[in-house]
Amino acid sequence: MEQRIRVLVAKPGLDGHDRGALVVAQALRDEGMEVVYTGLRQTPAQIAAAAIQEDVDCVGLSCLSGAHNELFPEVVRLLREQGADDILVVGGGVIPQEDIPYLKEHGVAEVFTPGTPTSVTADFIRAHVKRKQLTFQKAPKKIAHIGIAVKNLDKALPFYTEQLGLNLLGTEAVESEQVRVAFLGVGESRIELLEPMSADSPIAKFIDKRGEGIHHIAFDVENVAERLHHLQANGIPLINEVPKPGAHGAQIAFIHPKAAGGVLFELCEYPDTSAGKEEGNDE
Amino acid sequence: MTTKDCTELYRKWQQELNERLAKSPERKQQFATSSAIEIDPLYVPDQIDDAYMENVGFPGEYPYTRGVQPNMYRGRLWTMRQYAGFGSAEETNKRFRYLLEQGQTGLSVAFDLPTQIGYDSDDPMATGEVGKVGVAIDSLEDMEVLLNGIPLDKVSTSMTINAPASVLLAMYIVVGEKQGVPAEKLSGTIQNDILKEYIARGTYIFPPQPSMRLITDIFAYCAENVPKWNTISISGYHIREAGSTAVQEVAFTIADGIAYVEAALQAGLDIDRFAPQLSFFFNGHNHFFEEIAKFRAARRMWARLMKERYGAKNPKSWQFRVHTQTGGSTLTAQQPDNNIVRVTLQALAAVLGGTQSLHTNSRDEALALPTEESARIALRTQQIIAFESGVTDTVDPLAGSYFVEYLTDQIEAKALSYLEKIEQMGGAVAAVEAGYMQREIHKQAYETQRKIESGEEKVVGMNCFQLENEPQPELLRVDPELGRKQKERLDALRAKRNQQSVEQTLNQLREAAQGKDNLMPYIIECVRHYATIGEVCGVLRSVFGEYRAV
Repeated sequence: MEQRIRVLVAKPGLDGHDRGALVVAQALRDEGMEVVYTGLRQTPAQIAAAAIQEDVDCVGLSCLSGAHNELFPEVVRLLREQGADDILVVGGGVIPQEDIPYLKEHGVAEVFTPGTPTSVTADFIRAHVKRKQLTFQKAPKKIAHIGIAVKNLDKALPFYTEQLGLNLLGTEAVESEQVRVAFLGVGESRIELLEPMSADSPIAKFIDKRGEGIHHIAFDVENVAERLHHLQANGIPLINEVPKPGAHGAQIAFIHPKAAGGVLFELCEYPDTSAGKEEGNDE
Repeated sequence: MTTKDCTELYRKWQQELNERLAKSPERKQQFATSSAIEIDPLYVPDQIDDAYMENVGFPGEYPYTRGVQPNMYRGRLWTMRQYAGFGSAEETNKRFRYLLEQGQTGLSVAFDLPTQIGYDSDDPMATGEVGKVGVAIDSLEDMEVLLNGIPLDKVSTSMTINAPASVLLAMYIVVGEKQGVPAEKLSGTIQNDILKEYIARGTYIFPPQPSMRLITDIFAYCAENVPKWNTISISGYHIREAGSTAVQEVAFTIADGIAYVEAALQAGLDIDRFAPQLSFFFNGHNHFFEEIAKFRAARRMWARLMKERYGAKNPKSWQFRVHTQTGGSTLTAQQPDNNIVRVTLQALAAVLGGTQSLHTNSRDEALALPTEESARIALRTQQIIAFESGVTDTVDPLAGSYFVEYLTDQIEAKALSYLEKIEQMGGAVAAVEAGYMQREIHKQAYETQRKIESGEEKVVGMNCFQLENEPQPELLRVDPELGRKQKERLDALRAKRNQQSVEQTLNQLREAAQGKDNLMPYIIECVRHYATIGEVCGVLRSVFGEYRAV
């Protein structure tokens, strides 16, 4: 499973108003994060040390005394000095608008002023915590297929069936992508040959640009939506931010090739029954 | 059940009022509406029976439901006391003089956080905080500047100071001496309520037991030497700000009050010696009628407690005298001018509830400390209520309203059930140490936040009726150089004072703190010789230790 985001909610300086800090801490817990609260009267050095010790992804600083310009940047500086610059630092409290640019220049990612709904704070943290802390714990089940772009399916097929001895499982036209697909079984995976049906097809564009050849690699995964959420939270560029229907009743989504040195990856989630049936067909 | 006719008691009350008015007349010869309808000091039911006398009664009399003075604001208006202070003693002195010129009738000093937590301005813990939320006071020298030109025999001063309350009171007493005003003529208030610091406000220093000793030392010292001083302001304000309900505000404040009374009794003080100097501090919040009822219920509860449970004989011991501040946490950063209207309603509720003094918040306090203009509007708000609205023309005008009397009874009943729970836990000190009140308040704060975010609770301009592209108001900036300047002042002071006498008085304080003597005289000697607040509190820290929150 995905690791939970860890947040340190901290009260730097001498300010004793912790209603806001406590409410935000509980709201972030309710949003599924793990939250540690420092208690009152922490020096920037104590906060930085606690953040590193607790291995958090985010530090939320709360100050209502007007000392934010001195205290928040100092926490950022100390984190950087100790090599923890991957920890996201956000702040809140009674902070005049005109101070916010200064705080942002000094490494505070966002400042939440009175009246901010806690969900806004939670969403911001989810979208901006650094990926290091968020490794996805589970590998894909297998390679579902390798997609190969061809100009002409009928011309390309005999090589795979006659020379390599692959079993043609069927062909299917996917109107939405303007592509005709041939499925060839190989062990638990498949080769998919993709032929553009029109000049608008993404496959046609691929062939124009890079010629025929390997187009994408698809992984069979358990939960596409969860992975997209995770990738998005870590700032991985996506072609599809939400799953869409693909061939064989699968839910699919593509990761942008610039995330993987030019390789296009597809995530596929098959309904249990059809995946089993299809694998049976390979035998 | 038989009811007894008590009309005779009303005649007696009227007669006493008339005798009193012969000596000190009211603000006007006659109070009347625009239609020349004459307004009496008090309106009562047609049938005055014993049930009425027991629960409501007449103002200025037990159980004080209708107010602590017989004619309330007809005699004298509440004290308009705006909490102020920022930056240096010099700047704050200027703001004080400005407010007094504008018709304010009492001072209320806001100290910066290092002062409130007993650190000098050059302490590393004070970084960034010097002069931010109030004035920085390091030594008697700063206090002399702060009160320069302000006649301490005429102006009463409230000081929001808790853990180091003895130190600031000691400085005030010495400044008074230097002005030629003896301690027995000084009047004012120190907040000195440490329990609510653990519960809700956070500016504690020492653990509960030595803190309670410092407080009872003040009670004893002032009963003897500073009789006009309110030695404590038992505060529900911050409990409410931290998120409590009105009932919790009443219950936890009174629970704290009981703890102070018990501590003083245990220290061997006589109830009627110290109880008349106890005062209270409430929040003026949004629900108009509940707020009015809250004051009435609290007065009745305190009077019954003091008379029945503690056997106090002096009527002054029974009186719940209260300062009110409008609710800071109700202010919005969005469309800040709307806050003027919120403050007006909250202040009106406090006045209808019978407050003795009032601070009205400024419109820009969700953004920063108030500008001079904002502080003036806040004071004008009180003046408009006092001089234009007519609500001051008769005492407790909402008494007898079915709704207000019902709310008063309900608040009392619900607060009593909290008090029972706290008693079972061993009293307020034990409940605080167990984190009970803190948890109850936090639960409520979170609930409120959820309701605001879901839109169930509407906050105009914030979760409904919003404006896009709000203009940014002008805000007060505290001089960023102040921390450095204050350190320089402190260096200069340390160089010129008599170091030997400072050390001597600090050592005497240390020995006294280890023993049982009243610490007030020792602290007065320390500050007289210009020992700093950090030095005095440092000595006490070394003897008492420091509190760590649960």
